[in-house]
Amino acid sequence: MMQNLWLYIAVFISLLLMVVLSLGGGLWGAEHSIGHWTGKLFERVCHQIPERSFTINNVPMAVNSRCFGIFAGLQAGWMLIPAAVRFRLEASRISWFLLFAVIAQIIDYTGNLLGFWENTNISRVILGMFLGMTASLSLTDMFKNNFKNQS
Amino acid sequence: MDQSEVSQPNESFSISDYMPSVGIVGAIFSLISFVGGLFFGYQQINAEPTGSFFSPFMISSGVICLITSVAGLVAVWYFTREVSPQLKLGQGAVIGFLTGAVIVVISIVLSELWVMLIDPDYNEKILESMIANIEAMDMPQSSKDDMIDAMAESIDSQQTILRQIFWGVPITGLLNLLTAMIGVKLFAEKEEETF
Repeated sequence: MMQNLWLYIAVFISLLLMVVLSLGGGLWGAEHSIGHWTGKLFERVCHQIPERSFTINNVPMAVNSRCFGIFAGLQAGWMLIPAAVRFRLEASRISWFLLFAVIAQIIDYTGNLLGFWENTNISRVILGMFLGMTASLSLTDMFKNNFKNQS
Repeated sequence: MDQSEVSQPNESFSISDYMPSVGIVGAIFSLISFVGGLFFGYQQINAEPTGSFFSPFMISSGVICLITSVAGLVAVWYFTREVSPQLKLGQGAVIGFLTGAVIVVISIVLSELWVMLIDPDYNEKILESMIANIEAMDMPQSSKDDMIDAMAESIDSQQTILRQIFWGVPITGLLNLLTAMIGVKLFAEKEEETF
């Protein structure tokens, strides 16, 4: 049995909702995501540039590809926490991956900003997923029973 | 140090215990968010349209989002220093969500005050500048029109303060909730708990 089970379930549902809503107005028959209620939810956390977003039913999503990658990665990583607990994955290793993912984001963003390379929606979503997954999985040991004894 | 000093029974905290860290860290990060937004906003207004996706305003949204997302982690750090070193994961999550909510509320109120009292044309100037930048972009005219329509619609539909808070709190709160849980992992003394 996992520790903090109800918290795990509540966050799982919240992340799932966040990912679904980030798909934007296209899922709800709207012509835009910006201005749509799904877009309003994310306008404080994402620039929502349509050219840098994936589309659903030809409508750009409510968040750009990097943010969508982060959200989907958070959800995917969260889903994997029970397996990570079951197989006693060492969260300290994941924390190093998390640090690496943060640095990779900064390098990718800065390199693109300075014109050293041009990233794409695919590269942004992959790097975003990496960051999101490692962020979620780094919390694995908080859901293990008898955590104090293991730390 | 005696073990009993380190591992006191984990107490339950009330909202008033959370408020110093939530309020102080939330206020600081909302100020950063507000001042940063203004700085990049006026840079955008005063910049020549380059046609680049990386306009000052666009850069600011990414940077400010990143900065405000770690507020939950900082609030937990502050709590463990000033209130109690022991903190359950769920309690940290509450601190994170509340910190995100405080950031949204204060930064929205400050923005509204700025437009009401200091620069009533701020939003219009931002919109004009961003439209000029989009017009200079190298992309099909239909895409430009879509972006401009959506942007204009978004700014025209600027809602009341309460509506902005309603739409702003859930995602900012959730992101800060997650970073606050990372904060619990990093800074709090752990104690076995049943939730």
